[in-house]
Parts: sequence; structure tokens; C-alpha cells
Amino acid sequence: MAMERVLEVKDLELHYFTRKGVVRAVDKITFDVRQGETLGVVGESGCGKTTMGTALLNMPTPPGRIVGGQILLDGLDTLKMSEQEIRRRVRWESISMVFQGAMNCLTPVYTIERQMKETLQQHREMSKEEAKTRMKNYLNLVGLPDDVLRRYPHELSGGMKQRVVIAMALFLEPRVVICDEPTTALDVVVQAQVINLLKDLKAQMNVSFIFITHDLSIEAEVSDRIMVMYAGQISELGTSEQIFGPQGPAHPYTQRLLAATPLLHQEVTELAFIPGTPPDLVDPPAGCRFHPRCHVVMDRCLRDEVPLREIEPDHMVACWRCFHE
Amino acid sequence: MKGARFDQLRTFWGEFRRVKFGLVGIGLLVVFALIVLLAPLLSPFTQADQRWRDMTYWLDSPREARPMWVNWFTSKKYATTETIAAASTIETVTGSMRILEMEFPYQYTAGRPPNDLVLKMGITGRTSYELLIQRPDGKQMSYRGSTVVDGAQVLRLSVVETLASRVYAVLAPSEDPKFAASKDPQQIDPMGAMFGKAQPGIFTTPENVKGTYTVKLKLALISPESKLDSAVINIMGGVSGLLGTDGAKRDLWSGVIAGTKWALLLGLLTSLISVVVGVVYGVASGYFGGWIDALMNRIYEVFTSIPLLPILIVMSAVFKPSIWIMILIMCVFFWTGPVKTVRSIALQIKENAYIEAARGLGASHGRILFRHMVPQLVPFAFASMALSVPGAIVFEATISLIGLGDATVVTWGQILRDAFGSGAVLKGVWWWVVPPGIAIAVMGMTFAFIGFAMDTILNPKLKTR
Amino acid sequence: MSEPILVAENLTKWFPVKRLVSQVLRGERTWVRAVDGVSFSINKGEIFGLVGESGCGKTTTGKLIMKLLEITDGHLHLNGEDVTHVRGRALAKHRRSVQMIFQDPYSSMNPRFTIRDVLMEPLEIHKVGKDMKERNAWVSEILNEVKLSPPEEFLVRHPHMLSGGQRQRAATARTLMLNPSVIVADEPVSMIDLSTRAEILHMMRQLQRELGLTYIYITHDLSTARYFADRLAVMYLGKIIEMGPAGTVIDRCLHPYTQALIGAVCEPVSGKVNQIKDVPIKGEIPAATNIPPGCRFHPRCLYAVNECWENVEPKLVDIGGGHMVACRRHEEIERIGAAARTSEASLGLRRSTRIS
Repeated sequence: MAMERVLEVKDLELHYFTRKGVVRAVDKITFDVRQGETLGVVGESGCGKTTMGTALLNMPTPPGRIVGGQILLDGLDTLKMSEQEIRRRVRWESISMVFQGAMNCLTPVYTIERQMKETLQQHREMSKEEAKTRMKNYLNLVGLPDDVLRRYPHELSGGMKQRVVIAMALFLEPRVVICDEPTTALDVVVQAQVINLLKDLKAQMNVSFIFITHDLSIEAEVSDRIMVMYAGQISELGTSEQIFGPQGPAHPYTQRLLAATPLLHQEVTELAFIPGTPPDLVDPPAGCRFHPRCHVVMDRCLRDEVPLREIEPDHMVACWRCFHE
Repeated sequence: MKGARFDQLRTFWGEFRRVKFGLVGIGLLVVFALIVLLAPLLSPFTQADQRWRDMTYWLDSPREARPMWVNWFTSKKYATTETIAAASTIETVTGSMRILEMEFPYQYTAGRPPNDLVLKMGITGRTSYELLIQRPDGKQMSYRGSTVVDGAQVLRLSVVETLASRVYAVLAPSEDPKFAASKDPQQIDPMGAMFGKAQPGIFTTPENVKGTYTVKLKLALISPESKLDSAVINIMGGVSGLLGTDGAKRDLWSGVIAGTKWALLLGLLTSLISVVVGVVYGVASGYFGGWIDALMNRIYEVFTSIPLLPILIVMSAVFKPSIWIMILIMCVFFWTGPVKTVRSIALQIKENAYIEAARGLGASHGRILFRHMVPQLVPFAFASMALSVPGAIVFEATISLIGLGDATVVTWGQILRDAFGSGAVLKGVWWWVVPPGIAIAVMGMTFAFIGFAMDTILNPKLKTR
Repeated sequence: MSEPILVAENLTKWFPVKRLVSQVLRGERTWVRAVDGVSFSINKGEIFGLVGESGCGKTTTGKLIMKLLEITDGHLHLNGEDVTHVRGRALAKHRRSVQMIFQDPYSSMNPRFTIRDVLMEPLEIHKVGKDMKERNAWVSEILNEVKLSPPEEFLVRHPHMLSGGQRQRAATARTLMLNPSVIVADEPVSMIDLSTRAEILHMMRQLQRELGLTYIYITHDLSTARYFADRLAVMYLGKIIEMGPAGTVIDRCLHPYTQALIGAVCEPVSGKVNQIKDVPIKGEIPAATNIPPGCRFHPRCLYAVNECWENVEPKLVDIGGGHMVACRRHEEIERIGAAARTSEASLGLRRSTRIS
């Protein structure tokens, strides 16, 4: 299905300038986010997925800096905008983010109402009644009763706080919501409820989600397309069917990652694992970055850097094995 | 293992080096350490430390003389303190008696007369002597005396103390007769007059006369065994030493140097003991928790709420105030300093799984406390030690200032106390008050700098990128 | 069937809650009933999984077994001996035979220690080993055992110089130093990257087979629990509500809570994006200070009827094959489930075709 592209990212590069050297946390990645879809971003810790998320809001954490590329929001490059313009037009207005552990960042001494109002008033001129109605509407949207407004964070359970945070990310009606591990700290049952909520919201609001997590099983639940990141680069990008379908993913990393995920309803005697650890991004290995851990490595992988190429419609892979040349 | 420790130390030093004021602190500390080590070389009075309160040790110094560098800033120079040996000695024998005639020329060039001029003689046996001082204008004043003791003795003939009336008698004719008659001989300034021009006003506003003042000593050795061991003229100048002298003629430079040792000892020992006790107490309190923690907290509160000063005053009255007892008493109250912080850090450390893991392995409480928890607090302990040193030093000074210090040692506080006791501030003897004050401040600053620097490094929250 | 090595009878841990002065005066006491009467028996060489959501009392149970907490009520037997209230020398012996692997490999080792210090500690505490030479040899041997080789390279490192997986290996090595018979593993892989999780579990299982260890595997992750454990016990609010062979508990669960837990698990299978997940549970988990009367799950249960909260709490009953469940309506639930299971079976056949 051909959908409108909301966000296009081209050759985005973000480096951390540390004492040890330049960490290429996000290294020339190109992808797009389409209207009303959920794009899942998976990878091991330290692969650059969260960094990428903050880069989309153009607010890298120091000592990180965006050093190149474009982020096109409806065709306009946000990286060329002034800080003021970004605040007025991009951040929270068009792209919002549910940060990792955000539910624990609610200020314990203020009521939910006060905290929500703060975000709202920074962006919108509106009367008290209007603001209140809007806040109530959004709380109801995420499945919370009105009286949550009067509560303090400690009076709410983890799941409820996560819902509040999601409501706050939504109530300026952004085009894209980035969710960074929104379910990690939650218990299984609550996690399933939050996932259901996100699915529900996507169906209702025609908003796009970027769903960042380390857990492939959650991506299978929520994401239309999956982007697998490894060592600051995209190793595979495809639809849910292409990744999780019967034919399985194309990239050996994704294959291995999937094989390492235990299945609940199947007796598995031996789980796969990936030997070694992700590379140091100050000095990544030459050629394909995955080659030291790859089980099907070829001579070429050690030598030549792999480009991300389309091997079938909507399915991009960065692996020499997959290119039939 | 050793290598790792060394590495840690090196990283610590690497970080420390970047905190500038910490380096200043270290520099000052090195200076203080050198002062303590080199005290015998630095101090003109090598026994200043042991004999600070022995008045006989200081007799050859002027009283309340200014630091000698004062002369650099004034056009009317103060006479310097010096010792003049005999320029010539003539011995004649008349019968059974030997007569020594000695001359001591004093080139007087200063703008202000010295505080005193003293003839110091070491004599054995019976003698009689005549002292004569001849001014450049020829006027001379003399004094006669004799000794009758058989053994050796040291005799000091001071112009101010023994020749004042002679000076008056000789110079009174030059003064305005009306005024001279009304003036009590004891109330004139003998030194001013002696080095003043013989004209009216010599007793009130003497005009300085430069030139050679000759002191002549005529000594008759009466018995055969009599002899002169030594004879010098001590000019008790208006300036003396690097920091001047105090009201008891003590050289303040020597005093400040001697005090450095005690300040370091007192500060470091007090803070070492109290921080060790405090850290162990705090860690134990945080680690054990429950009623033990509650009890330890109450004890802590009792100690913090007792006012230290009155206790110290009572203690000093009961015990003979010695510096060791003072350190002990200060420790008894200073250990509370780090407790609260340490306890809260301990509560944090306790939450780490490795403490529970150690318990699971069967580690004893002692092992967990001293192997797992206390080592983490060593950096903090060092910082808080450095920070509590100034407190101890200032406290000792305070105690000394109110007169409850250990009288057998020289501390900066004692010097200050003596100054206040003799009204130095009122008399304008600033050089008696300022140096020990500055020393206390600089010593405090030294440790405060080191402490803050360590704090900056060890407390990541204060660290700026 | 081998003999039971660890038996818990009605194991209970209540924590007192701080009271207000008025409550003290009125003589009121409130308790957090963290573990509220748990009974199980673990056989030698078995991997016993304890699963449940946070706050269900699974970690507390682990600490009770470790004797890190005082047992409020009930009994604990290790190798046939009552160890419920052991002290002194007997406690030291208990500490040698039961060891624990902690969830967070980042904080379970003192950051100031080298791996050598970490591994030496148990030997020093229990004064094991004749001399330094023997101890060193031992340490190297165990490091090889957990595949941290060459040992010399790891001995001098500090925990922070290791990756998460390596740390968990070192933590495992520490538990092995004293040659224990039971190891309590509290979420040993939940903080480790997915790619190396299986490696750690694999190593742990290999050790178990070689050394004849017994594991108590505490986790919230049903998928790894099924993969790793032989038997599972599902805990809810301080009580075991279902227990049995891992496959049976997962595939043929009968307690409504277990069903909800299993329904909530995500799986990497395509075609679920546009489906809303069916999580058969309502409400939120109540506080452990205020446990509902009757069946403690009834306020959240979709099958609850009046008798569930009017009557006494249902007992854990064996319904055959070692499968035990604490639910009054398990027979009816089984009938409903049998019909549905036929359709669920389609989920199974996937893994074999996926890896090329």
C-alpha cells in the first residue's frame, strides 16, 4: 500500500564526542515513516536506537551532535531550522516522544493536572476550561478516568502512569510519536494492556508511531514495519510479514536474534545465541560491522562495507549474502 | 592487584591535578611540611619550641620590636637589633689588681633610637666596673658597680633600667630649665634623650643625632681568680627578626614556626581520629538499621547537642590542660561531623546487591562493614578529614585564647592569647596579632582547598563536564 | 523419581508496616503479606521455576530459602534437615550449600573488587582451601567452567570491565566456589541482552547437568521459564496458584491468572499487528497489605462466582501428573479451554522453517 511519507530521514549521522574518541552512535541511516504506521526499531543495547530517537527531535544528549544528514518532516528539513522554529513547529507539535522510564519522571509533588497543563500551555493558548476538557478527553482516550487529574503520581500504578505519559505525548496531536521502550518496566499483563492501547490509538488517530525496543516479540505485536539496528546502522528493514512471517528475516543478525527469543508455546531444547558482544563504536570493525559475530561470514564481509539494498519491495537488507550479484 | 590500586591512585591524581585550588592546597601543605622539617634552620632561636615560656631565653631580644621589613617602608628608619663586640681591649696590672679597658663603638645611623642598649658581661669572681657612654657631642654618662659573688654570672646593664637617671642628670642642663625641673626623671624616654641633640626639648621631642656612640667598659678584676668571660653590647633595636618580637621579648617568627608543628599535629590527629570513628559509626548505623540505628542516632544527637565550649572549659579546669587531652576531648565531639553523611551513603551502598550477595555467602557483619562498605568511604573520609582540620585548629586557638590551652607548647592560639592578654591590639602591636592569625587562616585554607578539591572529584554531582 | 532436596511447608513471610501512633495505641497491626503460605518440594537435579509479576513474593521466597530473611512461619527443609531457624554454625553450613545469583550483574559484585577478589571471597569467608595455591587453582578451574577463559585475563579485571553476560558468568562462578547443592537464580538473564541470554542459560544448564545442581529459577518471563525450567510454580500475591511440569503449566494452564499471564506474553510471530490482544483479567493487582478474602484472585477473575469470595481460600490440589492448581472452578475452565486449544495449536509450527 502506498502511503504518504510523514518523516524521511536521509544519511542521518550523530556522533558522541567523548574523551575516548568519536563514537559513531548513528552512522548514516536512511529510512522513512509513513502516515498511520508503526515503525519498530529493534537492536541490542548500545546499538544507537534511543540516540536515533532523540536525534529525530533534534535534541541529542551532550556530548552528542548531529553531524550530517537530513530529517524531512513533510518535506521540510528540520535540521536547517532554528531552535525557536523547531520548538514551535517540530518538537511536540509534530514529533513527540515517550522517553524510556518517563513514567518515573513525573514530578511527585504536583498533581497530574498541573503537569499536563504545563506541557499544554507551553504550546497552546487556551482557556482553563478548554484545557481541562482537552486533558480529560486525552485521559479518557488512553483509558483513564477524569479523576486521575487530581491525583499525584504515587497514587497511580505503573500502567496508569505510562498511560498518562502517552496521553501527554499525544495531546498536541503530533504526526509522529516516538515510544522508547514504553513497556519495559511494566509487568507482563500491564505491558499487554499498554500494547493494546497503542494499537487502539493507532487505529483511532491516524498517527504514526516509532516504537523503540530491544524485544522482537513486542515488535511483532505492534509494528507494521521493523527496522533492525546494529552498531549504529540499519541491518534490515522490512514489513512485519517479511521479518516474522514463515519465510523469516534475511539478515543473519535478525535471524539469530529471532532464534534466540524463546517461544512460549513450543518445547525448545536448544536456544540460539550470538557469540561475542556488539562492537565498540569508537573503532568499529572494517567491512560489515556484524562480521565478527556472524555465523555465515564470507571473505567479502571482512573487506567491504555493506550498503542497505532493497531485495524485494519494502524489504531492505545490509548483507552481502543477500545480494545476488 | 597492587597495580590496580596504583592505577586508581594515578587516575585520582590525574583528576586532582585539574582542580587548580586543590593544587594550591597541596602546595601550601608541602610548604607547611617543609617548615616543620626545616624548623631548626629557619628559626633563629632553635629552642623556641621548648623554651617559649622561659623568660631567660629571650633576654637578649628587644621588647615589642617591629618586624625588620618595616624599615623598607619608612623614611625614619628604626635602629636595628645588633650585637657589638669590643673594638679594643687594654689590660693593665696595678698591684694585685688587673684592669681591663674595652671600647665598643656603635655607629648610630638610624632615624629612630633603639629600644635599649645593654651591656652583657659574663663575669667570674669579684670585680668592680665602670660603664661609660660617650655621645658624639662629647657628653658622657657613666655608671659604677661591683660584683661580690664568687661564681660565674651574667650581668646585664641596661640604659633604660639602670642608666635612666644618669641620662637625665647629664642632659637636663640642656633642656629648658623650667621644664627640666618639673619633669620626673623616671618619666623621660632615656633612649630618645641619649640619642637626641642636647638642646631644649630633648626630653619631649628629641632631635635625632647620628654618629658614633662609644661605650667604654672599665673592669677591675679584684681577686686573683676573677675574670671576664665575655662582654658585648646588645643594641635592642626598634626592629628585630622577620616578624618582630612580642611583649615578653620573644621572637614571633620562631614562635610561628614552632606553632606550625603543633597546628599540623593537632589538626591532623584530631581529624584522623574523629573521622575514623565517625565513618565507622555512620557505616555501622546505616548498615545495621532498625533499633541499633535508632539507638545510634539518639547517641549521635546527644553528642551534637552538647555545647562543646562549656564542656571544654570544665574539662580544662579539672584536668591539667595538655594538648593530648585537648585532642582527645575534641575527638569526643568532632567525630559526629561525618556521621550523618556517612550513614546516608551507607544506606545507599547497603542497597547494592553485592552486600546481600556477601551475606548470602555467609560473610560476617564485620567483613561486610570493613571489606565492602568502609573502603567505599575512604575517599569521602579523606575529604571530610581535610575539611575538619581547620575546625580543630581554630578550636584549639579559641581554647588557648580563653586561656585554657596547654601552656607547655607554642601554638598560634597561645601566641594570640598572650597578645590579647597584654593588650597588643590596644597598643598597636599589630605584628603580634596578625602573623599567628594569618597562619591559622592559611593552614585552614590549605586543608579546605584540599578537601574541596577532593570533594569536587569524588562527588560526581559537583563535577562539571 | 529422585529424593526431594528442598522442601518448603507453608513458608510465610510477613513484613510489619510502620504504624501511626494512633494505630499503636489501638493495637492495630498491618502486615505486608509478601509470602503467604507457600509449599513446594524440589527434587535433586531439578530446575524449579518460580514465576509471577513484580510484588508476587517470588524474590522474597528466594531470600527465605537463602535465609537472608527470617521466616515468619512454616518450615524449610534442606536435605531432610529442618533449617527454618538455623543459626551460627548450622547457618554457615546452610550458606555453603545454598547460593544465589542476583538479577543485576552490575551491582551484585563490589565494583572495587577484581574478579579474583570476588571469587576468593567465599573461600575466605568459609576458610576453604589449604593455601593460596590451592585457592588460586580452584578459582581458575571455576572460571574455565563458566567459560571465562583464559582465567588469567579475567582475574585482574574489575566487574565494570566485563560485559553483562561476562559478569553474570562471573556471578555464577562465585556461587559455584563453595560447591553448593542448590542455587537460587533470581532473574539471572533479565538484564542481559537478548542475543546473549540464551548463552548464559545454556551455560547454567550445562553446569547443572555436570555438577548435579538444583536450581530455583525466579523470573517474570514465562518464555525463558518454559525453556529453562523443568517445573513451574506461578505465584500471585504471595501464594502459589498453579504448579506443575513446565510444558503442562504453560500449554494446559487452568488457573485464570496463569491464563491471563500467558495471554499477555508477546511472541515474535507475524500477523498480530492488527489484533487486540486478549488478556482475560480485569482491574489491577491489590496491595499485599490488603489481600482479598476468599480466593485472593477473585476481584480480577473473569470466572469468579459468589463462592469464590465467600468461602475459604481454595487449596492447591493435584489434578494428575503433578499438575496442581488452586481454583475452585478448574474443571469448568478446563472444559472451556479444551475447545479453544485446538485452534491455538496452529501457533506451534514455525521455528524449524525460520533459520535457513
